[in-house]
Amino acid sequence: MLAEIQEGKTLNPVVKHVTQEKINLYAEASGDFNPIHVDESFAAKTPFGGTIAHGMLSLAYVSEMMTLAFGRSWQAGGKLRAKFKDSARPGDTLTVTGKINCIERKDDVSYANCAYECRNQKGEVIVLGEALVRLSSIEK
Amino acid sequence: MPDETITYEGLVPGYKFPPATYELNASFVSKYLEAVDGAGNGFVPPIAITACAIATMTRSVPLPPGTIAIHASQDVEFLKLVPVGATIKCHIGVAQKIARGKMSMLVLELEVFDKAKEKVQSGKATVALPA
Repeated sequence: MLAEIQEGKTLNPVVKHVTQEKINLYAEASGDFNPIHVDESFAAKTPFGGTIAHGMLSLAYVSEMMTLAFGRSWQAGGKLRAKFKDSARPGDTLTVTGKINCIERKDDVSYANCAYECRNQKGEVIVLGEALVRLSSIEK
Repeated sequence: MPDETITYEGLVPGYKFPPATYELNASFVSKYLEAVDGAGNGFVPPIAITACAIATMTRSVPLPPGTIAIHASQDVEFLKLVPVGATIKCHIGVAQKIARGKMSMLVLELEVFDKAKEKVQSGKATVALPA
């Protein structure tokens, strides 16, 4: 977890390699077998030209970065907003980065307002958004 | 679980899909963590719970053959820790349906409850579909 929670603080990045095997495993775990993710011949005929990872797989990496930074405060007090800008594909290496934009106080409770983005190895944005964490329940 | 009788045209604001129940046992969590290269801590990763709700949605939305739905945006709030082995129930409803040229945007509301009927997550997903 972060030793210090302050405005401008950068969160430790998370780097993941996406493979078709991982996408297939994710489909099995989540039960989301949309052919665009798991059927290579179907996906080849779509505008994507091949399979793409589930958007929620990229969000899992974002959530991992937030869990590493804020622990259980994120898991039971986090709020995530995400826009899927592009698709991650097998072979991509995704890097999730984020920082604490500001600390807000509402009704005697503090919240860390973070911005994050997930980019592929070409620097293209795959997901971006904001994450809000209720700080008062951070476990020491 | 999917409502076989609903058509895409029938997905109007206010429509509720039949709820789906998931048992988040150790096998599920282990498989999920392997897929996302993650580490466990005795609780179900909250985004894994969201994934179940999204899968409920993608299985439930009827699409013309050969077409695909694209997950455009996601909002979610994690309200409660969920231990491994818990059972959850996902409720999905249509909040908005917006036509944009050759595409439609379907805004779906999701709520997830545990066995004690306490809300563990709530959120909204926007899905782009061919009009």
